[in-house]
Amino acid sequence: MTSFHINGRLVIVDAEDDAPLLWVIRDAIGLTGTKFGCGIGMCGACTVHVGGRPTRSCVTPLVSVAGAEITTIEGLEGKHPLQTAWADHQVPQCGYCQSGQIMQAASLIRDFPAPTDEDIDAVMAGNLCRCMAYVRIRNAIKQAAAQARKVAADE
Amino acid sequence: MSKLKGQPTLSRRAFLIGSAGTAIAFGFAGTEATADESSPFEPTIWYSIDRSGIVTINITRAEMGQHVGTALARILADELEVDWSNVRILAVDTDPKWGVMITGGSRSVSDGFPLYSRVGAAGRIALIEAGAKLLGASPSNCLARQGAVFAANQSISYGEIIRRGGPARKFTPDELAELPIKEASERRLVGKKADALDIPAKINGTARYGIDASAPDMVYARPKIPPTRNDSVVRSVDDSAAKRIKGYLTSLVLEDPSNTVPGWVVVCATSYPAAIRAADLVKVDWTTGSATEVSEQDILDYGAKQIAASSGGALVVDDPGVDSAFQAARSVLERTYTTGSVLHAQLEPVNALAFEKDGRFEIHTGSQWQSLILPVLAKALQLPQERIIMRTYPMGGGFGRRLDSDYAVPAALAAKAIGKPVKLVLTRPDDMRFDTFRSPSIQTLRLAFDARGKVTAMEHHASAGWPSAIVAPAIMHKTRDGTPYDQDAIDGADHWYSVGAQRVRALSNTLANTSFRPGYLRSVGPGWTNWAVETFMDEAARMAQVDPVIFRVGLLDGAGRNAGGAPNAIGGAKRQAAVLKRAAEKAGWGAVMPKDTGLGVATTFGQDRAMPTWVACVARVHVDRPTGAVTVEKLTIVVDAGTIVHPDGALAQVEGGALWGLSIALHEGTEFVKGQVKDTNFDSYTPLRIGDVPAIDIEIIDSTEAPVGLGEPGTTVVAPAIGNAVFAATGIRLRRLPIRPADVLAALRAR
Amino acid sequence: MFKKLLVATVAVGCLGVAGFGTLAWQPAMAPIAPPATASFAPELVAKGEALAGGGYCAACHTRKGGERFAGGYAMETPFGAIFSTNITPDPETGIGNWSEAAFARAMQKGVSRDGSHLLPVFSYDHFTKLSDDDVRALYAYFMTRTPVHATRRPNGIPFPFNIRYLQAGWKLLFFRPGRFEPDVTRSAEWNRGAYLAQGLSHCGACHTPRNLLGAEKFGNAYGGAVIDNWVAPPLTAGNAAPTPWTHDELYDYLRTGASKLHGTAAGPMFPVVQGLRALPDSDIRALATYFAELDKAAERLPYVSGAVSLAMSSTLAKEGAPIDPDARLYITACASCHYNATNAPLATRPDLSLNSAVHLADPSNLIQVILRGIGTEEGMPGVVMPAFGDALSDSDVARIAAYLRRTRTDLPPWPDLAVKIAAIRRQYEAAK
Repeated sequence: MTSFHINGRLVIVDAEDDAPLLWVIRDAIGLTGTKFGCGIGMCGACTVHVGGRPTRSCVTPLVSVAGAEITTIEGLEGKHPLQTAWADHQVPQCGYCQSGQIMQAASLIRDFPAPTDEDIDAVMAGNLCRCMAYVRIRNAIKQAAAQARKVAADE
Repeated sequence: MSKLKGQPTLSRRAFLIGSAGTAIAFGFAGTEATADESSPFEPTIWYSIDRSGIVTINITRAEMGQHVGTALARILADELEVDWSNVRILAVDTDPKWGVMITGGSRSVSDGFPLYSRVGAAGRIALIEAGAKLLGASPSNCLARQGAVFAANQSISYGEIIRRGGPARKFTPDELAELPIKEASERRLVGKKADALDIPAKINGTARYGIDASAPDMVYARPKIPPTRNDSVVRSVDDSAAKRIKGYLTSLVLEDPSNTVPGWVVVCATSYPAAIRAADLVKVDWTTGSATEVSEQDILDYGAKQIAASSGGALVVDDPGVDSAFQAARSVLERTYTTGSVLHAQLEPVNALAFEKDGRFEIHTGSQWQSLILPVLAKALQLPQERIIMRTYPMGGGFGRRLDSDYAVPAALAAKAIGKPVKLVLTRPDDMRFDTFRSPSIQTLRLAFDARGKVTAMEHHASAGWPSAIVAPAIMHKTRDGTPYDQDAIDGADHWYSVGAQRVRALSNTLANTSFRPGYLRSVGPGWTNWAVETFMDEAARMAQVDPVIFRVGLLDGAGRNAGGAPNAIGGAKRQAAVLKRAAEKAGWGAVMPKDTGLGVATTFGQDRAMPTWVACVARVHVDRPTGAVTVEKLTIVVDAGTIVHPDGALAQVEGGALWGLSIALHEGTEFVKGQVKDTNFDSYTPLRIGDVPAIDIEIIDSTEAPVGLGEPGTTVVAPAIGNAVFAATGIRLRRLPIRPADVLAALRAR
Repeated sequence: MFKKLLVATVAVGCLGVAGFGTLAWQPAMAPIAPPATASFAPELVAKGEALAGGGYCAACHTRKGGERFAGGYAMETPFGAIFSTNITPDPETGIGNWSEAAFARAMQKGVSRDGSHLLPVFSYDHFTKLSDDDVRALYAYFMTRTPVHATRRPNGIPFPFNIRYLQAGWKLLFFRPGRFEPDVTRSAEWNRGAYLAQGLSHCGACHTPRNLLGAEKFGNAYGGAVIDNWVAPPLTAGNAAPTPWTHDELYDYLRTGASKLHGTAAGPMFPVVQGLRALPDSDIRALATYFAELDKAAERLPYVSGAVSLAMSSTLAKEGAPIDPDARLYITACASCHYNATNAPLATRPDLSLNSAVHLADPSNLIQVILRGIGTEEGMPGVVMPAFGDALSDSDVARIAAYLRRTRTDLPPWPDLAVKIAAIRRQYEAAK
């Protein structure tokens, strides 16, 4: 039994200690917005936040998140500035990678409030977009970061 | 990708197929007065309008990122004159009434435009007539806007018209086919900015793909992929080690009457991680097919032999006078080009959920070509096709992989064998090993110049695996002498350049066809034929000592068969010349470049001559001499795709397509080694990442010509433009795709 | 985690010096009736609890998934497994019938209640420095735990290495009993740090290299050692990290499990930091003061910011062409977390151009962390690093490690990467 919080809700999971977190989230908890792409942490489709940090859930053993606070794309509730920017820029094509892109980008703009292209290249390189919507991903990140800076400045 | 020539390309035919040949009645004959008050208005199978005026449009094309539902719905809604906010789209499940269900060949909008326009227009006419009657006005004094009929200073909404009995107007198919559609100037939705309807769910995590499907009591499954795609036979299965995995259930050796997945063992468990681990531990002993002795170079060598032999293959273009022109030539240019295997690597690994329910088999999966796989499923399950239904899901990438929905078969067979719902998911390595990847190709091109340097003849011989020969021989085209050929594997070679006497010979690489399962990969043949044609044109221009843009424009004269014509190719080669000139102008063609930097150009007509999408690309490239690394600094792309229905979606397709082309040119490519692809995950298979994206400038020509496709054309121009730019930067000529630093280094050293 | 130590320790049995007979003999101490919990002052128990944390006793005296302090933690050696003892106050299987004197003798002299010599895998050579008051507090703490009946598993050590009696010879050669003596020339804080480091927290047990007989080399205190495929890095100026372990860095690391310029406490260092949580900030500062002086951080302090920018800028210079497959592999798998903008490394983005593991002469720690990842409890609380052990092949791990060594340091390549990876992979698979 492993327990943790996901999107603010406490869950207790009966699964093998080494079961990848991804499948626990998708199949046991039923939050399917987090996607399976490669199983080796190299496409980023499975990115969730553990303790506020982006984490590839496909290579994260369940036992290692005992007691953690996990947030998935569903936990952003469509309200994150990145989600607005993603809609404004019409980023997704097939959309399969986008949950991971958004979760990764959320930490990018928190760590780098004014991300340079180099910052974006490095931090987002682990998120493969097979439709190659990269131009829009970059533009949407910049818009969301600017929006977040504006909100921070107004507060 | 494959286009089914039997597929409706004109409205009348489409309508007949789509409506099972019956007349289309608007309203319900004889029942207007007594219509069930709660029924929506369903004037045709293609859409309904409910009593509050909400229009639900049925989409038979699969969503895989092209926002196809949005584009098709806007075509219909524009003619129907409804408020866009009242439009919904419904991705329908399989049903014979839809006719052929396929999403490929960049044809959805091109083929769908006449149909969706006319059923929309018919609905508008019927609603105006019914509304006029209710308003006591003459239909000719009424007009429809924003979901309502207006007459002088009064109006009635569509919803109210329907609440009050609805229209009674009927159209025969012939009438429908004759219906005029709007002038471009009258369009209110087509060509205007709109948010894609599929996007919100893809941002908040609620979009449900095939991999997200579930059913009560379902069992998770993962296959053991056999050593060869064809002819593998299971000798024995040892699952003793798997039994220690908690949740492991069983290993099924599939009996497949359709022979889609020979030698498959499906490992079942109560959870997917357990299925993954158990499958790792299940040992299978196979008798393999002959492909264990075949590697990439063998396939290319086989193709080279086919090309060297003067006979064989299909003469797709065979003008008289080719041989005599070459005999009379002052000079001849002959070059051979090759391309390597390319994986789809769509991000959602292939998967399917299958179960039997109420006497029917349900298959839940993303598919680009349901009509192709349904008969195969019927054969595999030994059931009549009517007892199988495919539930539709958006796809986490198609790119042609899901035209061949072969993955649905093992899920269905496993569900039948185990008597429970089976959710079959391939891991990434399973998916890549089971991929219907793009075949390696080899092509030899020849060009004859006369004494004045004029091009007088051209030959193009191309050998590659033929996807359609494997999965859909019925759709293959035939030459004049009746020889069938896979048009998808040769499109592009029959270009719009006027080169005098022309011969195009398509060769089916039998060794490829038997060693693996060649598939349709975004743009299919034009992905390799244009690598050859457009590199060759550059070489020819250099040989003729003419600027590569001027050389091409000279050949794109629109003469003879290259004049083009209705419906999709009005303007012909002249339009190709126009995009080429525009791209050159935008990219600063002719400017002096820094050291080791060059501009290269390429132009194509997208997918096929019947539906040309005119594309030109100028690539600006830097070559790092010490490492051989090629960096693309900028892509300038100009596209003429006729009428643009959904401009932002169109732009997205060109962006993505162009970057696919770049990725295939520099970052992708695997190798077939003894029956298997060499790369099975993203540690070694390395598609383009965000940091690899160059500056990109795309212009889509404003046009009111017939809309043509945009899903693939962007991929076809980029690789040759890059190769030609490498030549401009360094003087080295690359004739193999992908371009590897090692090849660049070797070529630099050889100079 | 103490494999090598144990190997050497049991080897000392070969000395077999019979003349130690008289020296070696220690009397049994009479069993007592377990004292009542109420007989210990609550404040004494609380003090003992903090000290038990500072000595991270639970790390060795608790088996995975077992009751706290009930022992049974397996330490694998080539000679067989050694299992830690039950130190709950169970009279039959624990220390319930140990008098305080017996407890103190074990701590300060390495002798069990029954008179047998304890193996020096139990760091009595450090605990001997504990003050009598602290020993008393520890006794009070352990005797007030809930007794757990957990029969001790016999060690698998074969004859003659299992003769406890022979341990006396080892003690004669290497054991210096005696309480900690403050250095009056130093500050009280330094002395507190020294007391903790040398005694309670027994840092040298891992960080000081050992001689062939398994005793810490007195002349090379904190010089660094390799234990069970983990490197306990030097805590002296010989530490290979590009920036010195300053007081602040040490404090952050020991207090939070992570430091911005060096990395994260993982593997066998994690239970140490976990235990230290019981100590007050003042004790952690004292430890930081002690070790900052030891590694002469102050002398190098002025160069820290320069070293950071140098390390990070040289990384960029050496990053390699983007087409370099190793660079791509690293960027794809690692950079989304391990990237920083130049000169501004964030603690939440451990920068590998500064990280100790990349600079050590032995790649083991880097390989261990790549394979095992870091759980929520380790390092920065609540944050994880995924485990790439099931994801990356040995050759991919080697490519990433070699790439980091090549681009993040000026140090020579690791010569034995493949061998180390294979060894750690075996250990990783066996632990599943």
